[in-house]
Amino acid sequence: MRHLHEENIEDIALGAAVLGTGGGGDPYVGKLMAREAVRQYGPVELYTLDELDDDDLIVPSAGMGAPIVIVEKLPAGDDMIRAFKALGKYSGREPRGTMSIEAGGLNSIMPIYVAARLRIPMVDCDGMGRAFPEIQMTIFTAHGITASPFAMSDERGNVLLMDTISNHWVETFARSCVVHMGAEGMIALYSATVKQLKEAAIHGTITLAEEIGKTVRNARRDEANPVDAVRQAVGGFLLFRGKITDVDRRIEGGWNRGDAKMAGSGDFSGQELLLEFQNEHLAVRIDGEFAATVPDLIAVLDSETGEPITTEALRYGMRVAVIAFPCAPQWREPAALELAHPRYFGYDVDYVPVEERYRGA
Amino acid sequence: MRIIDESVLEDLALGAAVLGTGGGGDPYIGKLMARQAIRDYGPVELYTLDELDDDDLIVPTAMMGAPTVMVEKMPNGDDIVNAFLSVGKYIGKPVKATMSIEAGGLNSVVPIYCAARLSVPMVDCDGMGRAFPELQMVTHTIHGISSTPFAMSDERGNTVLMETISNLWTETFARSVTVNMGAMAMIALYAATVAQLKEAAIPGTITLAEEIGKVVRRARLEEDEPVETIREAVGGYLIFKGKIGDVERRTEAGFAKGDAHIEGIDEYAGQRLQLSFQNEHLAARIDGEFKVTVPDLLAVLDVDTGEPITTEGLRYGFRVAIIAIPCAEKWRSPKGLEIVGPGYFGYDTEYIPVEQTYGAG
Repeated sequence: MRHLHEENIEDIALGAAVLGTGGGGDPYVGKLMAREAVRQYGPVELYTLDELDDDDLIVPSAGMGAPIVIVEKLPAGDDMIRAFKALGKYSGREPRGTMSIEAGGLNSIMPIYVAARLRIPMVDCDGMGRAFPEIQMTIFTAHGITASPFAMSDERGNVLLMDTISNHWVETFARSCVVHMGAEGMIALYSATVKQLKEAAIHGTITLAEEIGKTVRNARRDEANPVDAVRQAVGGFLLFRGKITDVDRRIEGGWNRGDAKMAGSGDFSGQELLLEFQNEHLAVRIDGEFAATVPDLIAVLDSETGEPITTEALRYGMRVAVIAFPCAPQWREPAALELAHPRYFGYDVDYVPVEERYRGA
Repeated sequence: MRIIDESVLEDLALGAAVLGTGGGGDPYIGKLMARQAIRDYGPVELYTLDELDDDDLIVPTAMMGAPTVMVEKMPNGDDIVNAFLSVGKYIGKPVKATMSIEAGGLNSVVPIYCAARLSVPMVDCDGMGRAFPELQMVTHTIHGISSTPFAMSDERGNTVLMETISNLWTETFARSVTVNMGAMAMIALYAATVAQLKEAAIPGTITLAEEIGKVVRRARLEEDEPVETIREAVGGYLIFKGKIGDVERRTEAGFAKGDAHIEGIDEYAGQRLQLSFQNEHLAARIDGEFKVTVPDLLAVLDVDTGEPITTEGLRYGFRVAIIAIPCAEKWRSPKGLEIVGPGYFGYDTEYIPVEQTYGAG
């Protein structure tokens, strides 16, 4: 067990933005909320799965909706607590702790807020090792852990509870309702015992985010090449350097969707990159050829500072580096890959692990 | 207390179709389901509110969605039971009985199915005295009774529970989820004690539907002028006789919406009536002028048999009589008209009670 203080939250947020692959919500908002909660209620205890009892019940907490909305419409905080408590009450079991369902982006941090306010432990693991746009896209689904009982609340005080026959049905119902909530709802879902999580969760991802964050911060301070420092820290590949020339963006079905075009510079001059996103970056094509796709991670970094850029922050004229890195190996198992395959997102292409495309590059 | 057996069902369903004002779902399917349940599990006890203890908890059951879908996609019965039991379990108190929230159409008989299968009594009252298209449109809302805890279930086994800050929010979320469930769901809502219902419900409406049904049935067999007999039985006014011309129909946001244009015959020759509906008949305009609007009831009857015709049964060439019936007095309060007056449905006209327009004649 170790404690998460304000300074840990800074690094986690920075690293989570890299793992967020452009989405998961801007961690900045979550960071402010978590920092405030830690100041008020004290640091949060972060446990590894091995430090807890196998029977302990863990209930992840998260935000759901269009990240572009969350930037302007801050979660109230009470909505998260309400969802978390509603789930505990509904399932009739007191949760021992909370955790992140999605170590990328905002949802790496949101559970820190819940843990601080309720003075319960947080567990160092998640269900994605990155961010993904839909609820059923977790390693848990591949392991047969159900997203329901599922609870969702808004800042007005509405609470929805769901018991469904599949995780995809939770996604369907919750996505409709989140649109009515103003494209933003706070959720609690995927209750599981520590024993189940030892099998199904991706371990150590909060610490991983923190380490990535620390690397970015140190590289920036030491005036080293921050993009390369990030690339090394995540074990990734540099796909592109260039300038954003066009961004097409829309809010559709409760998601940010769109694409960005980039013109290469330096070693990449003359090349054109197309980046497509649905809350998160899904695929990169360079001169029409796929260079990286889900479930591998794609991060867009400010080419000077190494700062990760979320999909809602992409702007014409920004100079960026695009890196890709391997997803958690669990995603490459057939049951999991089906959930996050490029074809699920409408790309008629086989999944090729990024290191196979770029090995030796 | 009296017993509802198979013989009662026919009359009840027939009368409910008149009170359904064209909607509430075709009672035919509900009747088949209730009949089967009575055959399998025995008859249902129907209590008046006075025969129950003030503290008894009553949970109404109903179908929600587009009646046009319901005709082809029958509920499987487990869905109704799931919804009813979910609300009871959530409240954590024993539920004494079920009731109809909507005496018009299918929802007059759906609770009979639930009562028979679970061997619980049914109460002789409802929340509308007719049918209405949205779930906050009940006299319970006038009296501040919450529609939540609200449960909705589909035939697959999905259940969604809600705790909302207003009955309109329940409608908003539930309507979306209904669309996801295939434009049809089974619901349990407006849990209330008998003491509350004595204030808020419209008493005796199941018996009223049965009596209307009895009159229609006899009139069909024995009378020359069934329409006139029915008009008398419901205390209504004949406002039009004609032949249906165009029917425009669309399924929109989970509702069956549209207009029927009817050419006058006999003493109405030369006049045109426009009938607007959203699941139920909402307004009748004759030669462009509003004559009858919600909350008063509009029934379209086959001119020869007196059989009520639902909105999805309206067809080119049908010869129909249209009668208007005064609504329950509770609806005429300012609060009632706010919830179900013509203004709520987008008609820019004052509500004029039907007996003021037609009473003199």
